[in-house]
Amino acid sequence: MTTAHRRLIGYAVRRTAFALVLVLLVSSAALVLVDLAPGDVTAELFAAGLGPEAIARERHRLGLDRPLADQYVTWLGRAVRLDLGTSLRYQRPVRDLLGERIGNTALLGACALAVATLVGLPLGVVTGSRRGWLPRAVRAASLTALSVPPLISSLLLALLAARTGWFPVGGTGLAEAGPGALASAATVAWHLTLPTLALALPFAATIERLQSDATAAALAEPHIQAARARGVGDGRLVWRHALRPALRSVAAIYGIIIGTLFSGSFAVEIVTAWPGLGRLMYDALVSRDIYLVAGCAAAGSVFLAAGTLASDVALAALDPRLRQDAP
Amino acid sequence: MTKTSKIAVTLVLAGALVAAALLARHWVGGAPAGRAAGPSRGGELVATNRSEPTSFNRYTAVRSTDELISRLTQARLVRIDRTTDALEPRLAERWTVSDDHLTYTLFLRQGVQFSDGVPFTSADVVFSFQAAYDPSSQMAGELDVAGQPLQVTAPDDHTVVLTFPSVYAPGLRMLDGLPILPRHKLVAALREGRLGEMWGLATPPAELAGLGPFVLAEYTPGQRLVFTRNPHYWRRDAAGTPLPYLNRLVLAIVPDQNAEVLRLEAGQSDLMTSETRPEDIASFRDAAAAGRLQLVDVGVSRDTNLLWINLRPDAKLSPARRAWLQSEDFRKAISYAVDRQQFVNTVYLGAAVPIYGPVTPSFGGWYVPGLPTYPYDPARARALLAGLGLADRNGDGVLEDRRGDPVRFSILTQQGVDTRERAAAVIQNQLRKVGVAVDVVSLDQLALIQRFGTGDYEAMYFGVETTDIDPASNVAFWLSSGAFHFWNPGQPKPATDWEARIDELMRRQVTTIDLAERQQLFAEVQRIFAQHVPALYFAAPEVYVAMSPRVANATPVPARPQVLWNADVLAVKEGGAR
Repeated sequence: MTTAHRRLIGYAVRRTAFALVLVLLVSSAALVLVDLAPGDVTAELFAAGLGPEAIARERHRLGLDRPLADQYVTWLGRAVRLDLGTSLRYQRPVRDLLGERIGNTALLGACALAVATLVGLPLGVVTGSRRGWLPRAVRAASLTALSVPPLISSLLLALLAARTGWFPVGGTGLAEAGPGALASAATVAWHLTLPTLALALPFAATIERLQSDATAAALAEPHIQAARARGVGDGRLVWRHALRPALRSVAAIYGIIIGTLFSGSFAVEIVTAWPGLGRLMYDALVSRDIYLVAGCAAAGSVFLAAGTLASDVALAALDPRLRQDAP
Repeated sequence: MTKTSKIAVTLVLAGALVAAALLARHWVGGAPAGRAAGPSRGGELVATNRSEPTSFNRYTAVRSTDELISRLTQARLVRIDRTTDALEPRLAERWTVSDDHLTYTLFLRQGVQFSDGVPFTSADVVFSFQAAYDPSSQMAGELDVAGQPLQVTAPDDHTVVLTFPSVYAPGLRMLDGLPILPRHKLVAALREGRLGEMWGLATPPAELAGLGPFVLAEYTPGQRLVFTRNPHYWRRDAAGTPLPYLNRLVLAIVPDQNAEVLRLEAGQSDLMTSETRPEDIASFRDAAAAGRLQLVDVGVSRDTNLLWINLRPDAKLSPARRAWLQSEDFRKAISYAVDRQQFVNTVYLGAAVPIYGPVTPSFGGWYVPGLPTYPYDPARARALLAGLGLADRNGDGVLEDRRGDPVRFSILTQQGVDTRERAAAVIQNQLRKVGVAVDVVSLDQLALIQRFGTGDYEAMYFGVETTDIDPASNVAFWLSSGAFHFWNPGQPKPATDWEARIDELMRRQVTTIDLAERQQLFAEVQRIFAQHVPALYFAAPEVYVAMSPRVANATPVPARPQVLWNADVLAVKEGGAR
């Protein structure tokens, strides 16, 4: 085994250990914070008309009358064995609930990331390399997209879908899809358009802004100027010579974007009735389902850790100096 | 312009033209309206519901979606007709009452089968009561009379005898909340103490059985529940046609109410399981005028919000603040200070009626017109406040008490419920005009309930659902010992003489059989309540129900579920394809 290989393995082990600690810390913090928040899952029973005695019985049955430290230690003991406990609200294993939703969120996140990248990157290159009304218009659109929260963009797109009938207002459509993988895929794609756009727009704008600045900076580098002086064409200069170094700034924030996709999906999933983790976590937070909140937070931190790792790999691929300097 | 820019401009323009053309076609033309025609057997309706179920076991799950699923898939011995509030036979086709009004003999329908084909007998009724009184059940409180359970026996397969521990005026009305469970499916679990674990959300639908009009065919978490016709359902219409009319009923889970409204307007759903918000009524009226929706005004709601001040003796108030904040005159001053018509216009956008007490006109014979009221009169409000020693001593526009402390208190209300937040803001604004400063604090529902439970608040604006108009079903509100006696719940003995009087009247009311006498007793209760205003009521919303033109045979009512309470007779209009 070469030194480079040993370094790479050591690096992977350290990153994995860091990811595990991150997941544990985030889920523990989520559990403790929600437990400390006023009210618990049994307060919903009061709204449903149950008296204090029935609520006290239910609290005892769910173990909510035990001290927080006791509850936490029990949960932690199970969590290290990958048993995330039982949802207080749904009375089902948290692992099963996450399993039903995580694929939907991953699909939505992946599509949103792809759209954001495919739209944001080329536009960023164009606005960073050209002058005139088109870059200005794109820049204005980006600023608008950045300033509109996903909740509002989801509602606007849902309104558009309702008024025009171009897209369904919500859901995955999978349950209504016809037989066959192709029909299912087409139905899901049709239903996915609205939430994907709502989630992707602000990220596309972020990528466009970053890429625009990075492209402009790369084009001002001496070696690019020298190439221009040697008569290299504009298109080749931008797409061949400036693009690669300019991609570094976008690659550096990919990890954060992937982590933020999860939090951004809260509002989008609720408005568009997309059955993902964001919506599950929102419901869990509202009903103080502590173990489900912890599970969702753990899943979210897995997304973040995976995103950071992907970002590091992308950076290393783009910048040979990083590969050589790898710890 | 470079070549790249030209291509980009061309693409953008082409896209914009296509989009404009499509938009114009859809917006100008509108969605095609469903054609009205007579109901027929078959078809599917889609209802949207905002929350997920928590279990298919109604005995352990008490939230509104769980109750709705139970209404669709299970049946009761008797039912309260939501349009007349009269008791009507269901699985029990008739009943007799003993002279002492303690024993009810119910005669069950014969030939009834569960959805899995197993015959229904009195053993299922006895079992259901056993399950309801099991420690894992949340139903026991609803079936207790004076804190005691009912005795249930079955002399034969089609007769059930219920013995009440004491006379209970509403009698069998309490059974409207008891779904009858299949003994053959659950008896082993009850014996083994596992009833609470049964019929969770992971249960395959085929394992569930019920006597309701529908069976659960599919549950896709986060997406929808699909109900299909119960082939063994026992009801038929007047022409002898087996019910339900619908082949399928889909309950789509749409957490956001804006999205629910958009789906309905777009024709992607047929109805919502919750009432229409005031802000949606205008657009629904337009859609109804264009034939794209049906909009029905079903009358004044029974569920009202109320403002109460914490009158608990352990309320965290200084003696000086307690002197004015907990005084009866202060509450009357609030009532005088709030212009209810403006409240109606601002909070409900005009779709409500001003009220002064908990019993609205929709309570039928229990409603008493002409009770004492404290209508809008800011001058009288100021006079009452002055009588409490509250005056603007420093000329800043806010009253001060005798120690010079400002007359200021906080109202907690529920975050995210627009009508409650708007109402609290209106109260705040109107009280400011008489010199009372109010801080509005919005909390999420669970935090609000927690603060109510601990008594750590000054005033609260909130409300809960009314299950039945019979006041005996709401004693937890009226009795001083009740958990829902909001202003001072769970009193070991009545804190005031008038509460003691209400306790006495309500106890008599609950055990009196004669309806006219009960109504007189309850009128006296309402009179005392109106005199002492322990809680303030400002408006009762008018309930509007919006449905697609495809929906036939609906008889919407003010109480939830406004349309699906009568799901077995719902139908799709002929020609009403989506």
